[in-house]
Amino acid sequence: MQDKKIKTDVKNIFFEVFPKLSEDEFEWEKEQKDYDNWDSFAQLNIITFAESKFDITFSLDESIEIKSANDLLNCINSHLK
Amino acid sequence: MNIIDSLRNNAEKNPSKIGFIDEETKITFQEMLNCVEEFSSSELFKNKNEIIGLILENSIQDIIAYLGIINSGKIVHIIPPNITKKNFNNQINSSNPDIIVCSEKNRSNFSNFDNKHLTIHTNEEIISKSTIQRKIPNINKIAYLIYTSGTTSEPKGVPISQKMIEFTTKNIVKVLGYSKNDIDLTPLPLYHSFGLGCLHTSIYVGSTFVLLKNSNNLENILNSLKKYNATTLAVVPATLTKFLKFENQYLYEKFSDIKLIITNSTSIPKETVNNFKQIIKNRKLATYYGLTEASRSTFMIFNENSKLDESVGKSAPGVKIKIKKLDKKLDVGEIIIQGENVIKNYWKNPTADKNLENGWLQTNDIGYLDNDENLFLVGRNDDVINIGGEKVIPNEIEEIIKQIPEIEDVVAFGINNEIFGKTIKVNIIKKKNSKLDKIKILSYCLKNLEKFKIPSKIEFVEKIPKNEYGKVKRSMLK
Repeated sequence: MQDKKIKTDVKNIFFEVFPKLSEDEFEWEKEQKDYDNWDSFAQLNIITFAESKFDITFSLDESIEIKSANDLLNCINSHLK
Repeated sequence: MNIIDSLRNNAEKNPSKIGFIDEETKITFQEMLNCVEEFSSSELFKNKNEIIGLILENSIQDIIAYLGIINSGKIVHIIPPNITKKNFNNQINSSNPDIIVCSEKNRSNFSNFDNKHLTIHTNEEIISKSTIQRKIPNINKIAYLIYTSGTTSEPKGVPISQKMIEFTTKNIVKVLGYSKNDIDLTPLPLYHSFGLGCLHTSIYVGSTFVLLKNSNNLENILNSLKKYNATTLAVVPATLTKFLKFENQYLYEKFSDIKLIITNSTSIPKETVNNFKQIIKNRKLATYYGLTEASRSTFMIFNENSKLDESVGKSAPGVKIKIKKLDKKLDVGEIIIQGENVIKNYWKNPTADKNLENGWLQTNDIGYLDNDENLFLVGRNDDVINIGGEKVIPNEIEEIIKQIPEIEDVVAFGINNEIFGKTIKVNIIKKKNSKLDKIKILSYCLKNLEKFKIPSKIEFVEKIPKNEYGKVKRSMLK
């Protein structure tokens, strides 16, 4: 149940940061390079949303390594465990 | 006509008129002139340095000292009574006076600041050495020296000439309409150019100057309006905003005889402007923009046009204002000013003089002019946040976040970031009992701001540090 909630929250972060992204277009493995507008500022926005939502702080390396929704989910889970 | 000539003029035309009132006493123009001449003839000023320090408090005695030093041909170095020892020593090292004048009370406060080259004299000691035989020299071209309070740099000495005072005072009178029939009440400290400008204005027109000691004593200010039959009031915007805690009807009564409220350039909340437009309906609510280095550069008299409620108005007569673009992508830029109200140079400070180019003062303030040449302030150049090459004015972020109804106050500022150099942090005071969370704020920002302007950190705080004029102390933010 908790995992499902985290996954929903992560998806919602992507819908917030990429408002034109539809449910159909969302894929967990879809990578940064496959998004039209995932630039360095969008990366910063994703990190900020996740840190605020889950009350965690990513390291610089973690921030750089997040390249998909799945990466973000894994990174969040590693902090919450 | 210098400020002493104006006083003399008042003493000739209206010798028995009460010209000055403080919370303890009141004196006529003739009495003031007599006291000033007595003070300035003190032997203690003979053969002393060009500069005399004055710990300037809000009292008639200190007005006498201020005018007396000017009348003696010396330059007054104005020192705030609440100055720190470090700032005091910095200023003294720069201005190099050998006498400091102060009240008896301040003598003990400043005695441990004393150094071997400096003698502290009370007002009474100066007067006790007065002599009618002493010939008073011509008045110095420089009236006073005042130091701007740098937060990150050393204080800079700003020499204000008699001509600058005359130019600025004439503009104040012309634009705001002061007259000799006015009774001008202010709780502003005289060691600040806003308060001192009010004193000069009253002397220039020959009105009555009523000086209160404490700008935080709201009841006393409001009661004094009626007690002294005041017709003008000069206060900082924060005081006006605090007045609004009183019932409107109470304020209507207190302000019934006021024809002008003048405040200064710290941004005034829209709500305050709107409320006071009603409280003093059909009379003047005004503000100005200026620096110690360029006093009263614009004036704004608020009117029905609410689009101008956040403007500081148009440039004063004889003053030019331009916007120097910082970045092609930004609509705003640094405000630069030229005019007879602008200093020619800082006090023995070639580094600071670089702020002056061909008579144009670089203010370090950021703003823009609308199509009708109304000036709007948006922040300080030092406050601009450079996020990976994108420049962001904190004010823009703050204005958007303030639109969220559950937010009471917000401040945006830069924090270090390993990737971007800087990113934005916002400190937010939520309204009481609000359950607002950070995600809602970020979502609102994403819908209303470009990606690079989205804060990377949000902190809910109880208080935002501000100075006595309501300006955020940005150096204290973290």
